[in-house]
Amino acid sequence: MIGRVPRWPTVIVGIVAVIWVIPIIGIVATSIRPLAETSRGWWRIDEFTLTLSAWQRVWEAYPLAPALGTTAFLAAVATLGTMLLTPAAAYAFHFLKFPFRRLLLIIIINAFVLPQQVVVIPLFQLWREMGLIDNFLAVLIPYVGLSFAWSIYLVKTFLEDFPPELVEAARIDGAGPLQTFWFVVLPNTLNSVFAVGILQFLWTWNALLLPMLYLRTNVPLPVILARINGTYELNWDLQSVAAIVTTIVPLVIFLVFQRQFASGSQARTGAKE
Amino acid sequence: MANSVASPATDGASTRSSREADGQRKLLARSRGRFRDSPAALLLLVPVLILFGIAVVFPLIDTIRLSFFDIKGLGKPKFVGIGNYIKLFTDPAFRNTMWTTLVFTVSTTFFSVGLGWALAMLCAFAPRQTLPFRVMIFAAFGISEAVAGYMWIGILRPDSGGLLNAVIGLFSPGFAQPWLGDPRTAIWALVATATWGAVGLPLMLCFAAVQQIPKSLFEAAYLDGASHWQVMRNIMVPLSMSGVRVAVFINLLGMLRAFDIIYILTGGGPVRSTETVGYFMYRESMTQFKLGYGAAATVILLVAVLIVSVPAIIQRTAGAR
Repeated sequence: MIGRVPRWPTVIVGIVAVIWVIPIIGIVATSIRPLAETSRGWWRIDEFTLTLSAWQRVWEAYPLAPALGTTAFLAAVATLGTMLLTPAAAYAFHFLKFPFRRLLLIIIINAFVLPQQVVVIPLFQLWREMGLIDNFLAVLIPYVGLSFAWSIYLVKTFLEDFPPELVEAARIDGAGPLQTFWFVVLPNTLNSVFAVGILQFLWTWNALLLPMLYLRTNVPLPVILARINGTYELNWDLQSVAAIVTTIVPLVIFLVFQRQFASGSQARTGAKE
Repeated sequence: MANSVASPATDGASTRSSREADGQRKLLARSRGRFRDSPAALLLLVPVLILFGIAVVFPLIDTIRLSFFDIKGLGKPKFVGIGNYIKLFTDPAFRNTMWTTLVFTVSTTFFSVGLGWALAMLCAFAPRQTLPFRVMIFAAFGISEAVAGYMWIGILRPDSGGLLNAVIGLFSPGFAQPWLGDPRTAIWALVATATWGAVGLPLMLCFAAVQQIPKSLFEAAYLDGASHWQVMRNIMVPLSMSGVRVAVFINLLGMLRAFDIIYILTGGGPVRSTETVGYFMYRESMTQFKLGYGAAATVILLVAVLIVSVPAIIQRTAGAR
């Protein structure tokens, strides 16, 4: 801002920012120092040793490695599913004419308000009847199905700026609606589809409630963290490693793509300035 | 359709004006056009509609239906009408839950948006210098609720190994408050943890709103001799309100839905003092196996969510073209 920049706002924001990262520093410090040193507080430095012992032992103590694989697999499949199906639906809603188009659109884009608690009981009963408890489909179907409420809105909003002349030109040249989608519209929506993918990836990676209820043997990282947390064992070092492993991938992706995330979560919760 | 089928015949009749015939032809074209794309649309939409139907429409209807039944575990459902709702509103635990939900949702939204907005105002004075600080605060928003809950357990530990007790202990030695074990403080511990994670978004939204204010407005104000305080009060505050509104809505909705953070941090305790409606439904249906009762609580949550979302729903519905 113009010429004279006062110093004090920066100082205040800086102090708050340092306070804000203390919890993060806390679990990192706890994970790389011996338990004996940190049990009375990870910030004490009367004795100071760095060790990767917890990072080595944790894979034996908790099933973190298979959980990491499960989490990555679930997040990848759910993200791909959403990224493949969303642009097709957004294109159909924006450029094609068919009965009940507006009604269906209104229902889908307003479903963003629904909390995930709504699916808990009905899907629990349905999966139990169908024998899908402990099957990855039990979480993948709601992951992808719930995502449409915000993903279609996000891509369709993007399509509103897409020049309709391009679509008309393709039609006049004899391209059918599917060809128009594949060759003209889809290649130009990749940015918004990518943003949808990032949001869906973070959401599914961090999901706790549905996998905790519908999966038993192969569970993702947040469920493992919840189980470890419930045992009241005093092994803060191992638990901290588990927490870091759980959050590092989504955190890095989040920080790299933070711009898309800020605008995307706006679309996800419906508000537009 | 009957109209359009008849139109070619009437077209030939010379008594009809050409204008009317033209109108008929347009109607014909439009009604054909209405269904023209249907096969393609169906092909593109079928997987979406099936998944959306299973994951959203069915659960929504079924939750409402189940809320009228008494279901215990695998037993036979018994229709009880609005019995579950009557039971909910006479259940002291649920009344306490509604109060907890209100306190948690409103205070977390208030503190996170208030702090995020204030920080955005400060950042606007020095956008470039504060960039790394904004990223640091925003990072907390990128950490999942479950991990955030875990981190704060460490800070709120009841002994002097908890950071909060240690810091207070600097001023009054030996201080040891079981923040998560005392019903009076547990709810505020939860609010603090949720606020920590939720400040990033209001900060970013309000900061973006302030950044959109034309620079010439500030220049004019400073040329006219306005102080920083006046610029803030008369330009930045009113023009950042669009960001505040969006942030309030997003955080209200997010806190009403909260589950993960409560599950990890307090598990609803001690003595059910941190159970919100979103957690209550989980406890009743998935740990006590009272599915109908849990479904009724979910419907109450749904009503709360809908009330908060009315403006957004109107806006989206009106904008759906």
